[in-house]
Amino acid sequence: MTPLQDATTSKPPKYPDPEAPITLPKQRASLSDLPYRKSNPSLSTLFASTASLSGSRPGSGTATPTASAIPGSVFSPGSRQNGTQSPVGFVQGISDESRSLIQRAFVPHVAVLASESAEEILRAKGFEGGFLQLLRPFGEAVPGKVTIRDSVGVNRSWEDFGVRFVFPTDGLEVPSVTERNAEGSTGTANGQRDSGKPLSSTTRPSLRTGGDVQQIEEVVDRHLQYSEFQSPEMMDYLNHKNTNPQAENSSSPFYTLYLRRLLSGLPLSPHETFSHPTAYVVAISSRDKDAVDKLNQLYARTEIGDLRLPQWVGQQVMRYYVLIHEEEHADTARSHQLFETMKRFYGLNCHLLRLKSNRCIPSDDDSVPLPTCEWISAGEELAEIQKHETADDITDPTPYLFDSDVTAIRSFIRELVAQSLVPHMERMVHQWNEQVLARRRGLSGRFMSLSKRWTPFGGRNSSSPIPMSNSNYDSLQGFYGPDAPEATMRKLADYCFMLRDYKLAFSTYEILRTDFNNDKAWRHYAGASEMAAISTLMSTQPIYSKTQIENIDVWLEAASYSYTDRGRSATPFYALRTLALGVELLRLRGSSAADDAARWVSRILELNLVGPVGRALFTERAGACYAVRTGTGSMRLGSRRRKAALWSVMAAEQWVRLEKSLQAEKCLDNALQLYKITSETDDGESIKAPFEKMQSFIDELRQRILTSRLANRGFNEQEEQVEQQRLAVEEVSETLDKSPKAHRKSLLGAAAPPIDVGPLSPSLARTREREEEKKDDQFE
Amino acid sequence: MSYYFCIIGTKDNPLFEHEFGTSRSGGDGVSRFSQSDRSLNPFIIHSSLDIVEEVQWGPSSTSGSAPMYLKHIDKYAHNYISCWITGGNVKFLLLTRPSDAALPGAVGGGAGGVRGSLAGGRGGMLQGTYNPTSPATEEAVKNFFFDVYDAWVKTIMNPFYGLDDRVTSPVFRQRVATAAKKYL
Repeated sequence: MTPLQDATTSKPPKYPDPEAPITLPKQRASLSDLPYRKSNPSLSTLFASTASLSGSRPGSGTATPTASAIPGSVFSPGSRQNGTQSPVGFVQGISDESRSLIQRAFVPHVAVLASESAEEILRAKGFEGGFLQLLRPFGEAVPGKVTIRDSVGVNRSWEDFGVRFVFPTDGLEVPSVTERNAEGSTGTANGQRDSGKPLSSTTRPSLRTGGDVQQIEEVVDRHLQYSEFQSPEMMDYLNHKNTNPQAENSSSPFYTLYLRRLLSGLPLSPHETFSHPTAYVVAISSRDKDAVDKLNQLYARTEIGDLRLPQWVGQQVMRYYVLIHEEEHADTARSHQLFETMKRFYGLNCHLLRLKSNRCIPSDDDSVPLPTCEWISAGEELAEIQKHETADDITDPTPYLFDSDVTAIRSFIRELVAQSLVPHMERMVHQWNEQVLARRRGLSGRFMSLSKRWTPFGGRNSSSPIPMSNSNYDSLQGFYGPDAPEATMRKLADYCFMLRDYKLAFSTYEILRTDFNNDKAWRHYAGASEMAAISTLMSTQPIYSKTQIENIDVWLEAASYSYTDRGRSATPFYALRTLALGVELLRLRGSSAADDAARWVSRILELNLVGPVGRALFTERAGACYAVRTGTGSMRLGSRRRKAALWSVMAAEQWVRLEKSLQAEKCLDNALQLYKITSETDDGESIKAPFEKMQSFIDELRQRILTSRLANRGFNEQEEQVEQQRLAVEEVSETLDKSPKAHRKSLLGAAAPPIDVGPLSPSLARTREREEEKKDDQFE
Repeated sequence: MSYYFCIIGTKDNPLFEHEFGTSRSGGDGVSRFSQSDRSLNPFIIHSSLDIVEEVQWGPSSTSGSAPMYLKHIDKYAHNYISCWITGGNVKFLLLTRPSDAALPGAVGGGAGGVRGSLAGGRGGMLQGTYNPTSPATEEAVKNFFFDVYDAWVKTIMNPFYGLDDRVTSPVFRQRVATAAKKYL
């Protein structure tokens, strides 16, 4: 491989020159790039579709996300882009992205239950996960606008409303129950995906349960790794239209991914009700003999059977009944008759879903691939990635659907959400507001809470763990009974939050905070404080009063403290969630709150809530927070330019340590931009950093980035020589990589031994091709 | 405790750098910065200029008079920064880093970090006994700055000294070291 070595020695990259983007010397970009594109397409779409969702809201309907519709911010390393970006630009362009992310993260959960015959139909269509797998991706964005009436009676329409379809016991951390169910009825989630693919972390009770910071780190790391091995030129070519400056203001896609995974698959927990099901969808098929009986039977499983949720989950949920009708096989008249019966029994909450029973294959005329889920938990995504990695090119595991099916499902979901679920939630909010909250707010309610506080033996004086007779909190088991006013109020507040009525939500959380504090229900207290802060910040009106700003500080502090410290049950996940959301929302508030945001970021780092990947991401984020703050006047007084630069350098350093050269380069470029040492003076000399030591540190960083990039490209002389010798004796065999980087190499397709001579025989021509491929990989 | 003292000129350029350790409570006056700390210190100092400027030009907290000693103004991780500003817009910045014994989990990251968090760790809260705003600390730093200022004024009275030149005088360095030994 002499040309390779020549190339690097003859054209050494100039490290000290801050102008030069850190790219490897480029030899040629030729047609031999092409086979590389094909390397496992299903895997690349998987990565692409998740990693690049950063700024884009999902279209509210027809468009199914495909690989081509992706803003390519991840894969364009964009030293150019960063070069043109001025720190001022940050402020004008703070996108509302995090707010909408949070809005879409806290949505009602709908539990899905289907009869055996319904599951059978869907399995025949290629949906191993059954009805649930079919519905999940479509629930994330309800087509069309959803109008919600808030407590004051004002209607507001939302484009991006969604629901989360879950299995009833998803998010419940009881391993045995979940496993049995997964194998029994829906069949699959665990059993099938785990087989033969050991998860690198400990096996989780349920894949769809989120809340594991370590797994989130792992997922983000996989995405980073993938982007690291993408050839930048390649991706620029594919989607160069998207490399517009629009993407600059949004945060790093990996950070968004981190947040998204943090908010996906919220575990079921007594202290918050976001992940408690608000409705059950019970599905039967036209094959079932006795429809009504079957439906009752299914529903009974959730009430007394094996799918019963813990006591603290309220049972006041809506039920929705679905009849799946097979277009080809079933008798339409009979289905209609069945449906009429259902309607007679259950009223309006029924739907007849017509699906084609044939399996759809990609080559069919109107085939549409099942969209990927945005909001899957980290564990599930890991499993998904592994599944795609092991699958070969030809059998793409993504199931396909007929276009008519997609339309049917969309209209079903639209009807479910807009006509049943949202009105149901509004009704419940209204009812609880009148029955519980108003009473608690009224004079007698206040008196009650006062008397509770000041009874001689109760309240705060008591040190005994036995609950007082007038407290509803069961401190031994750590929850309120589902009928306790506190539990109802929490539910009311969460419903309001999900319906985006932040005002009522906030005032309810505020009341709950004091109640929980008096009861010493620390986790509940933390939860209420968290949501009080977040719901204040979520409302769009500006916060002027100083007390309010201080309050937010106090709430965040209380939440993070109670989540991490109080009692035996430390839950760093929730603390991280609180702080991360707080940071994002504060950052949106612009310059005055940016300092606070950055302070909370450093709190996250201090508390060690995140692993190495998260640490680098949050360090980067701190820089972004400071960058939001620009000064006033011509002197830019009060700007945080130098702070932002410091944090960017720190982030770059951490990325280098994690061998993520792309990210490191991005951060470093950003820092240089802020230090204003990217430009040149008039006489062509590069401007140096103000301190010599700073300059040398930056140079060293650039050197390390380059080294790690070379290493990533597999540029390793010794290895190649060994390969060459092997080739001399004509042993063209597949070498099994023993290094932990094995799968990386398979992404590159770089396992082929190199040769320098031309193809002597047709049999060698193929090897030759692969070698070309490798060369190019190494140089891009 | 280790200290990094830096004088910054009007164009954010360093005029003088000095590194020393505490001489109090049996300290030997040698700094204990690690190699990576040492390379980061200039960055931290430089970044705190943002805050210095804000305090310098922002609304005055003391009515009328503009104090030269701005006290403790900034903090990055476990590094505390105090500032003295001269009439010629030259800033004296002192970075204080409490000894490593008082800094649990300073290494951060890795599996250890995660484990620490799972144990509900509040590593960051145990910052030893160092309190940058305690009166004794403030007074000591103030005295140190005052002595340095004294020496500084005498040094820049040198007719061959130009604005924003580096100070290379060994006498000045000696005086800074003496002041450090005396007060910190």
